[in-house]
Amino acid sequence: MRRCFVILLGLLLVTGAAVAPAAANHEIVIGMQCDRTGATQTVGVNLCPGYHDYIKLVNSKGGVNGHKIKAFEIDHEYKVPQGMESYERHKKEGAVLIGIYGTPHTYALTQKLTEDRIPGTSPGFGSAAAADGQRYPYIFPIAATYWSQGAAAVKFAKDQLGGLKGKKIAYLFYDNPAGREPLPVLEDLAEKEGFQLKTFAVPPPGVEMGAQALDIAQRYRADFVIAHLFGRSPSVSIKELKRVGYPLKKVVSFVWGAAEADIEAAGGFATAEGYNAMQFAGVGSDYPVLNEIREMYKKEGQQPPKEMASTVYYNRGVLQAAIHAEAIRNALKAHPDGKITGEDVKKGFEQIDKFSLGGLVPPLKITATDHEGGGLVQIYTVKGGKFVKTTEWYNAYTDVVAKHIHEASAKK
Amino acid sequence: MFDWQFFVLLMSNGVLIGLMYSLIALGFVLVYKATDAINFAQGEFVMIAGFVVAVALGAYGAPLWLSVAIALAGMVVFGFALERVMLRRLIGRPIVAVVMATIGLAAILRGVGPLAWGADTKSLPLPIPDEPIVLGPLFIPPIQVAGAVVSLLFLAAFGYFFLKSRKGIAMRAVADNQQVAMAMGINVERYFGLAWAMTGIVSALGGIIWGSLLGVDVHLALVGFKVFPVVILGGLDSIPGAVIGGLIVGIVENVAAGYIDPYVGGGTKDFAPYLLMIIALMVRPYGIFGKTIIERV
Amino acid sequence: MIHRECGVLKTTYEADMALYPLPIARWAVAAIAVFFFLVLPLSVHEYYLSLVNLISIAVVGALGLNILVGYTGQISIGHGAFMSVGAYTAANFAVRLGAPFWVALPLGGLMAALVGAVVGIPSLRIKGLYLAIATLAGQLIIEWTINHVSWISGGVQASIEVPRPRLGSYVIGSQRQMYFFLLVFVVLAIVGTLNLMRSRVGRAFIAIRDQDIAAEIIGIDIFRYKLLAFAISSFYAGVTGVLYTYYLGIANYEQFQINVSIDYLAMIIIGGLGSVLGSIFGAIFVTVLPIAIRYAMEAFGDVFFSSAAVLNIIPNLRLILFGGLIIFFLVVEPEGLNRLWRNIRSYFRVWPFAY
Repeated sequence: MRRCFVILLGLLLVTGAAVAPAAANHEIVIGMQCDRTGATQTVGVNLCPGYHDYIKLVNSKGGVNGHKIKAFEIDHEYKVPQGMESYERHKKEGAVLIGIYGTPHTYALTQKLTEDRIPGTSPGFGSAAAADGQRYPYIFPIAATYWSQGAAAVKFAKDQLGGLKGKKIAYLFYDNPAGREPLPVLEDLAEKEGFQLKTFAVPPPGVEMGAQALDIAQRYRADFVIAHLFGRSPSVSIKELKRVGYPLKKVVSFVWGAAEADIEAAGGFATAEGYNAMQFAGVGSDYPVLNEIREMYKKEGQQPPKEMASTVYYNRGVLQAAIHAEAIRNALKAHPDGKITGEDVKKGFEQIDKFSLGGLVPPLKITATDHEGGGLVQIYTVKGGKFVKTTEWYNAYTDVVAKHIHEASAKK
Repeated sequence: MFDWQFFVLLMSNGVLIGLMYSLIALGFVLVYKATDAINFAQGEFVMIAGFVVAVALGAYGAPLWLSVAIALAGMVVFGFALERVMLRRLIGRPIVAVVMATIGLAAILRGVGPLAWGADTKSLPLPIPDEPIVLGPLFIPPIQVAGAVVSLLFLAAFGYFFLKSRKGIAMRAVADNQQVAMAMGINVERYFGLAWAMTGIVSALGGIIWGSLLGVDVHLALVGFKVFPVVILGGLDSIPGAVIGGLIVGIVENVAAGYIDPYVGGGTKDFAPYLLMIIALMVRPYGIFGKTIIERV
Repeated sequence: MIHRECGVLKTTYEADMALYPLPIARWAVAAIAVFFFLVLPLSVHEYYLSLVNLISIAVVGALGLNILVGYTGQISIGHGAFMSVGAYTAANFAVRLGAPFWVALPLGGLMAALVGAVVGIPSLRIKGLYLAIATLAGQLIIEWTINHVSWISGGVQASIEVPRPRLGSYVIGSQRQMYFFLLVFVVLAIVGTLNLMRSRVGRAFIAIRDQDIAAEIIGIDIFRYKLLAFAISSFYAGVTGVLYTYYLGIANYEQFQINVSIDYLAMIIIGGLGSVLGSIFGAIFVTVLPIAIRYAMEAFGDVFFSSAAVLNIIPNLRLILFGGLIIFFLVVEPEGLNRLWRNIRSYFRVWPFAY
């Protein structure tokens, strides 16, 4: 009997605490999804702290136009039911903006976000067709989608090889929808530029790809490799390609195979010399906003968090937070009293132009029709033990990408 | 024109990686052979061992031999403790219970790993060179050679153990018929513990080698999924079967990736072994070397 | 005092074999029905209704898996794949042929049943662990097929958007409307399972689970009934997948991968193998657990850890608790929450005169 009583008491405490108050007055709530224990946890544990740190910085300076921001994070372990539940929870807490995390979640939430008129962002993942702001008014990729990344990769290969006609390109990709998404664009460009394209699928979880690497290097003898891998597989790909003797400087990887963690797991920067990685946020610690964050921590008497060392993911978190804050700033311009809704934030996004945060953020231009912002990327190469910037922000073949976006919208 | 060089490369890759799969399958087979328990958490064992070594090497700067020793000792203790705490209570239960218990254990380990040691990927540097050994047309990565050698060594060691040593024979007796073994004076529970401890040792070595290949983080546990086709093909309770099964799976994977993938758009490499496994299950469920005890319907 | 069976006398066979022969049981069921159909949806915030919706969908799936694993004793780790078969079938019918939901849903279920029967064929020759691994192989193969055959998956993205279900011109969109929509199917599933288990087919299933050789001897065609079990269970799974698709508005196979299959196995083990109420308990428990942990950590976490660490601890803790609870139930209470509930009920059956 006493055990029952204790259990009941515990339950009461939990439910009592659960009905605790939500955001305080004048706080603008952003719903942030993260994955710290699921398939992409190596990303989430570094990206989400970056997000929170930027919001903390903004709040420490008095918030956006005087209004503090509350970023409410829920970890959904990369599972969709949890993602749905977290969205409902965010909605309940009055979120005016959702930072979606994960491609299947973006798909799952698209209809709901449009119905509820709350904008959601999906930087560097999600559906490429969502760049069409007319068709998907409440989804904002705010960074290069996989189509744009594919086009940019081809352009990089073209520059490195001095022309593509008659050359052989290998596309090494993770065998899931996100990995296959760039295929139509790549095939289109293969026709347009006259190169031969061969695809090499790596089934999840991608811990072993010796056969594909052998094929690329020895049988197909590719002139350039475009890699689109996730999770553990980028580092495995570096090792395998190196093992079969393929020069890493002829490899360019999409944004999720491009982090320090991948290089470290592959054996360190010395081993991965020459590897090219595409980024949609700046890399490295040498940005004014990062210095400000370090200052902020120093003032509190704390060390900067260790996640800052993983600059690729951390900076992406900062980028996401910065663009969110900018959209809110634009929304507040129209409603200075702070009572903004999801629609106001959506319009705020569509006014973002020339916001670059000292080079960390590409010069995006988000409009009502283009929610992607131009599809800008940068290439960093592993040189002499660290990432070195190889190109400035650029985009490529925007006409081809636009054509595909158009086709996708017309289809549904 | 058939590309012989490519074929040979593919084969060698398949053989070597297959032996590395066998290393993990050995742990699984040990447990099943001695205790009839199915360990769905084999991959997580490998992961935890990898974590211990990587953290000892990296965060604490211990020399390699010490880190390996710590991992081995830790996994042995873990094996004994596991048997004592959890598995002893599940003796005699239907198979679903043990399977689910190990699935639960796998979830616990997957949570404990990142919680205790952080979710970042850690590298596990071994004093093995990265440059491949070139033998004529073959590129052989030294790490895979190391893995293969370790697998074969364990095969020999365990083979000898089970065939010749007293403890090994006792363990086989326990696996055969617990009641009779007890009647002969064998302490069944202690041998269960020993079996799990041995699995721990094999997992530790698997963790070191695979961790060095892949980097240590929670994803390392995913290699555990490869175990099933290997043990089904080789026989759930056969140690040489684990090695042969591993070889088959490794070769099939590579052949599928090299020759079938281009026609179907990729991805067959992962389920080709499973497909083979289903065919094998219909025809010869006890595997190539397993004992013919499985109940037929 | 609450002794239910006192003074209850039946005069016809139908009355005796009714689903709820005792008056108190009928009153209880009526009260529950009123609660779920009237009280709950009209009084609670939409967020909680969304939780109930997720639980409802899980209940249907858990019931299906329990039919196969709990009642017929065949282990299956392929439940997630059958859900995705149902989901994509319905989505394709809805999008390509414009089928309304009351056509697409049964079609999705039937297709899943067909695929399930095929995957169940190995069960005729193998049992136990081998069958489990064969179903695992089935899961992987189905995933690969959907992933690669774009005729099924609707293109490279492997996602098909479905329009919201509609009754005539009434669109079912909000959580509250979804609630009623899902409630209907949950009730159908529960009543269906209860009746199935009281029927001849259900008894055959139980016979196969308990002693299949003896069952064969007394004339039960275990070939046919095992396939039937797989088919029915997969029908439930297909329906779950379709419901899920309509709930989300999109069909995407990445939502139905192996972790989902394992989650459902956990549900029925924690809830209680071989019982309808157990499936419901298990579904509620496993769905609510991560959310409950999060609430608890949010309330108390700041006491022990810094806020950044809390964010990291919550999800790992939920994994540890999840696994720990599975083991706990297996070791301590193998018949799950259902047995706990039965213990409570039988205690009150003769209370206060327990001797």
